[in-house]
Amino acid sequence: MTQANPYDVVGAARGLFDYAGNLVRPTLRLGVTGLSRAGKTVFLTALVQALISRSRLPVLRVASEGRLARVRLEHQPHDTVPRFAFEDHLSALTGADRHWPESTRRISELRIVIEYRSASSWLPGQSTLTLDIVDYPGEWLLDLTLLTKDYARWSRETLAGAAKPSRAGIAGPLLGLTGTMRPEQVFEEADARRLAETFTAYLRACRDDALSLSMLPPGRFLMPGDLEGSPALTFAPLALPEGWTPVPGSLAATMQRRYEAYKREIVRPFFREHFSRLDRQVVLVDMLSALNAGREAVADLETALTETLTAFRTGQNSLLSSMFAPRVEKILFAATKADHLHHTSHDRLEALLRLLVNKAMVRAESAGAEIDVIAMAAVRATREAQVRQAGESVDCIIGVPMRGERIGDEVFDGHDEAAAFPGDLPADPATMLSAAPSQRESAFRALRFRPPLLERHPDGRVKGLPQIRLDRALEFLIGDRLR
Amino acid sequence: MSERPLKDRSPRAFRLDEAGAPVAGGRLIAPDVDPYELEAARLVATPPAPRRRRLLSWGGVFWSAFGSFVGLGIGLWAVNLVEALLAANPVLGWAAAALAGLAALALAVILLREIWSLRRLGRVEALREDAQAAYAADDGAAARDVVQRLRALQPGGPAGAAVRAALDDLNGEIIDGADLMKVAERIVLQPQDAIARAVVASAASRVSMVTAISPRAIVDVVFVLAQSVRMVRRIAEAYGGRPSFLGALRLGRAVLGHLTVTGGMAIGDGLIGQVLGAGLAARLSAKLGEGVLNGVLTARIGLAAIAVCRPLPFLAEKPPLLSDVAGSLLGPSEGGGPEKTAG
Repeated sequence: MTQANPYDVVGAARGLFDYAGNLVRPTLRLGVTGLSRAGKTVFLTALVQALISRSRLPVLRVASEGRLARVRLEHQPHDTVPRFAFEDHLSALTGADRHWPESTRRISELRIVIEYRSASSWLPGQSTLTLDIVDYPGEWLLDLTLLTKDYARWSRETLAGAAKPSRAGIAGPLLGLTGTMRPEQVFEEADARRLAETFTAYLRACRDDALSLSMLPPGRFLMPGDLEGSPALTFAPLALPEGWTPVPGSLAATMQRRYEAYKREIVRPFFREHFSRLDRQVVLVDMLSALNAGREAVADLETALTETLTAFRTGQNSLLSSMFAPRVEKILFAATKADHLHHTSHDRLEALLRLLVNKAMVRAESAGAEIDVIAMAAVRATREAQVRQAGESVDCIIGVPMRGERIGDEVFDGHDEAAAFPGDLPADPATMLSAAPSQRESAFRALRFRPPLLERHPDGRVKGLPQIRLDRALEFLIGDRLR
Repeated sequence: MSERPLKDRSPRAFRLDEAGAPVAGGRLIAPDVDPYELEAARLVATPPAPRRRRLLSWGGVFWSAFGSFVGLGIGLWAVNLVEALLAANPVLGWAAAALAGLAALALAVILLREIWSLRRLGRVEALREDAQAAYAADDGAAARDVVQRLRALQPGGPAGAAVRAALDDLNGEIIDGADLMKVAERIVLQPQDAIARAVVASAASRVSMVTAISPRAIVDVVFVLAQSVRMVRRIAEAYGGRPSFLGALRLGRAVLGHLTVTGGMAIGDGLIGQVLGAGLAARLSAKLGEGVLNGVLTARIGLAAIAVCRPLPFLAEKPPLLSDVAGSLLGPSEGGGPEKTAG
């Protein structure tokens, strides 16, 4: 649905420009996305740190074959896009009060230059690959669904979603407020503000732990970036009657205008400027929060993933398409925080993620793109062990649970280590989506752990972050360009 | 182990005390090896494919052009000869034509056999690589494919038929990829390994004996060479291949290549024993020590030939060591006999 407009001359010209630059200086644009709290920032920080500090990455061929010469950060190509604050995030992870870094609130960029020795006999000697990493909130991809909907339809669907029984506890204020507003009443900025604030609060509550919902457009309401408070973000759904027509100057007409402005001024430029130019994409998914929250959250995650993935223009590039409208050639779906589960559960975690992204995978693969699904942890916060007690043994993970985490009636203070057994994932992933909710509510509970205590060099530098399968992810995403 | 897996599978946590033991009692058993390290090692275990030879090289162009040129010359000479004979005496001419035709037919058959033998060698190499990959990935479908190809490599005749029947029995059973290959290895290759080992051992002892008593160095060289060639051929036969002339050449090159690659490793695992053993013999007689060293070298060629001819890598079976095939040459420390204190 976001196929490039065939007459998009500017886009085509830019594509051609990129292509020409690529011949002189090989560049790969890697998109990193995921819904909030999927671990984008940690992933990116760990990725950059692993490359720069030349950590042990056995599966990444260029590293294990000793061909990696030097990796450095360089100033990024776009002057108006924020730089990914790699150093801040790294110090958050590794500092004295180690904690997970602040989440991605807006788009950011980072350019890494990788110097390596080529393994092919045709081009011996030093080669250089420029890796442009674009980090953006996955919520923004959900906005794509808005492009095909007008204001009336969006209002109806959003309010219908809010009326679902499971959201009864949080949708009250929004439904109450929209019930008192008449579409044809005269527009007052104060009303619009109140509506938008209530709507934002509702979206935020949906995202929180108890519900852990994902499918919550418009994305900028949760991730406003620097647009907070601007008119394009000050609108909300209204209860519109069937066959409604806007009355000029009325509340509904203004809301409709702002909704359209949001699509025109915010959604479209993002896709044009950044999204449509990616070569590789990694989609991070936090399966554990959804699994903790239960069936509805998992089903909602599936909807959200399927919606976001329709955004990708995938497939093998032909010469022509690589010049004018490059496609995403490889997509990696990564279930993050795999260190919060024992490694024997990873196959099931992967199977579940595979099921959730199945539709998108089939589509992308038939278009010729390469797809892979892995369970990984960019920063490994736990270690594994077996606890033997009273003749029974159980596979556990050991780490420092975050303050306030609970499992059963244990509540943790964020200092002491604990061994945790989070329960079993279903052997058949389909039961997580289809079966009636007959299982007990507490059949699965993954704790959140603090970042690991790190080994250090004598001079205080960190030795390298422990990871799970980050090297495999890298080999899949960029390994083929480092041969 | 006496511990049962957990019955109640609900989530739970165990607080750990300062020493890292669960507060509520019980023990904490840390794994010996990090499972992710193992996984990564398995993923990278498949070595990179050896660089393909260039399709076109000037040497190749020279030899094929030169060969064709000479062939044309010979053809022209043969035609002229037959024509001249026909003109002089028709009976002689027809006899010459028949002889030439017979020679051409035989040449064609020989060439066909050479090609067939080379292709078989290539198939064995490809099979070994695929088997290694399938084993590392524990891939069921790939393992079944490997076993099918291994079956196709077995020779005809009653021995081959028995092996094939045993492999067919495997088809019905549900076995993991890696385990399936281990079973197939045991069925097919265990007897062949035994034969190959015996061949190497006998060649090594013969070489050491003969070179110990032979009067001239040139005799040693010729004998060792002849024995090595014969040994490599017989090892190839043990694994079901009958190498032809070109096949044997290629096999010889692969064996030498394997020796240079594994030479460094052999220094690590066996050279001390080899030199010590030789030293002991050499103290008795210089010629005897020379013979032992020759035998050991022959045995190493034999081991390399086994590695090159065997259609599967060593999975469940242990690869033969030098002491397995040349133990009798290496003195008591490697031979395994009880050491007696010198009286």
